[in-house]
Amino acid sequence: MDSRCASAGHVQIRVASTENRVVGNFRSVISVQHLTKRFGSHVAVDDLSFEVRAGEVLGFLGPNGAGKTTTMRMVTGFLPPSRGSVTIDGCDLLKEPIEAKRRIGYLPENPPLYPELTVRQYLSFVAEIKDVPRSRRAAGVERAIERASLTEVAGKRVAALSKGFKQRVGLAQAIVHEPPVLILDEPTSSLDPKQRVEVRDLIERLRGEHTVILSTHILPEVSQITDRVVIINRGRVMAVDSAANLSQRLRGREEIAIEVGGATAVALQALVSTVPGVAGVRIEETDDGRAIARIESELGVDVRAEVARAVAGRFRLLGLRSESLSLEEIFLKLTGDGPAEAGPHVQS
Amino acid sequence: MRHVIAIAKRELRSYFVSPIAYAAITAFLLLSGYFFNSMVVKYVRDASLYDGQVERLGRSVQYQQFDVPTVILENFFSNQGVYVFLLVMPLLTMGLLADERRKGTLELLLTSPVRSIELTLGKFFGALTLVVIMMAPTLVYFYFLAQGGAWEPGVVLTGFVGLLLLAAAEIAIGLFISSLSENILVSALGTYGTLVALNFIDASASLTRSIWVDFIQFLSFYSHNLEFARGVIALRDITYYAGFLVLALFLTQRSIESIRFKRS
Repeated sequence: MDSRCASAGHVQIRVASTENRVVGNFRSVISVQHLTKRFGSHVAVDDLSFEVRAGEVLGFLGPNGAGKTTTMRMVTGFLPPSRGSVTIDGCDLLKEPIEAKRRIGYLPENPPLYPELTVRQYLSFVAEIKDVPRSRRAAGVERAIERASLTEVAGKRVAALSKGFKQRVGLAQAIVHEPPVLILDEPTSSLDPKQRVEVRDLIERLRGEHTVILSTHILPEVSQITDRVVIINRGRVMAVDSAANLSQRLRGREEIAIEVGGATAVALQALVSTVPGVAGVRIEETDDGRAIARIESELGVDVRAEVARAVAGRFRLLGLRSESLSLEEIFLKLTGDGPAEAGPHVQS
Repeated sequence: MRHVIAIAKRELRSYFVSPIAYAAITAFLLLSGYFFNSMVVKYVRDASLYDGQVERLGRSVQYQQFDVPTVILENFFSNQGVYVFLLVMPLLTMGLLADERRKGTLELLLTSPVRSIELTLGKFFGALTLVVIMMAPTLVYFYFLAQGGAWEPGVVLTGFVGLLLLAAAEIAIGLFISSLSENILVSALGTYGTLVALNFIDASASLTRSIWVDFIQFLSFYSHNLEFARGVIALRDITYYAGFLVLALFLTQRSIESIRFKRS
């Protein structure tokens, strides 16, 4: 594959926020700048900007109707944006669409299959229209079949395959021309749990060779396979960061929970409140004489040791754990209609 | 060009595993065989009746003298063009783009390094190749005709050229209509309506003479196809088909581009 696009190579990474500051000279493979899509008066995607580095897996997270699919369709060149630009591996998608599209493998939400063809015929057709040279086509198809674990069904018609296999054929189709960029729209959403694990493992194996954007609304998946997450809601970026960082930064305070036996609520409250560093205590009493205390402290202050020492002296300490904000909570916090978060959380 | 061939090849392959293509080819061959047979029977009988009357009365009151092979060829090709194509073409073109839209494979094609004109031409040539394959067995008829004596291979050739041009124009129209909807039934019905109009638009026009009558007759497929069926290759007929083809393919290409702007 020739690389005619002029600016391929190192691209300055700008933080996708209002200040638009340069944070480093990474090799940015996908660059999305001020992407906007209007359908009539409805703004489906509103001034979206983000960068994806070489080899990175970026998760696209948002409720239904947030603009995930619209964004992916613009990044793959299917849908022309109302405003903004997309650069794929140095190729401007709007100015050099053919060059840019050669570099993209795309799995839409419903895999685009020809049910009447066999898996091998189908992949061979896709390789042909994706400009895989004739001499490499057969080998490329076999490689995709093998990587997507389709060997046993390669001669069967696509129509005869189960949903999980069809999804894998969809993935094979996206990698058959070995594109640097993979864009996967909800690759696991319609699968059963076992198939979901298989497809996830497959994506895990593709990591490193391809730069991947994948959208999902299955939250555990995000922390498992993505390096960074873009959370979008109503077409706007709410946050860009790793799942772990998001969880930490959104929490605001540290929280631990302890379980204590042989203590009354009042006595436990009085005792824990005196421990240095504790900023707040909530007690929940259970019927069988145990109590659970949720203890808050300032961010970065670890009060576990002190609390344990103080409690162990008077009551029976049954358990202690650090509470972290789950991805579900982050998601709701960022996309919910509840109390608004102060500004977008962006860190590159 | 490579993409055009790839898309046409894929289209042909899909035709031959779908029951629609087989149904269409079967209907085509049955009808065209039936027409051919009944024409041979009718005109041979008419000719012998003519000869009989001339022998008995010295002249014929009911029949005019005619050359049997010429009349058979003319009627066969013009019938083939009007009725048989009309029945079969919408079946072959209804799914061309509507099906790609419905299955979501249009998204694959439009996110591949394929230009929309390549997609248009690939689809067009895929369907046209099928029509050529479908018409090939009808060559046998002319072998039978040749057994009967004097016949005109030139008329057979122009007849086929005319049918091919007509098929191309009808496919291009069907392809365009197929790009307008995701529903293959809507696409088929739309194509039927349009082709019926284009074939029979001149039927009511021949009573009077005016520039409009001439224009409407010029628009009609029927009169152009008739020229080829009579063994005439005229520039005006070729220009007509070429114009039709270019216009319909251009509209298809624009229509594919516009699908990308639609919200789905």
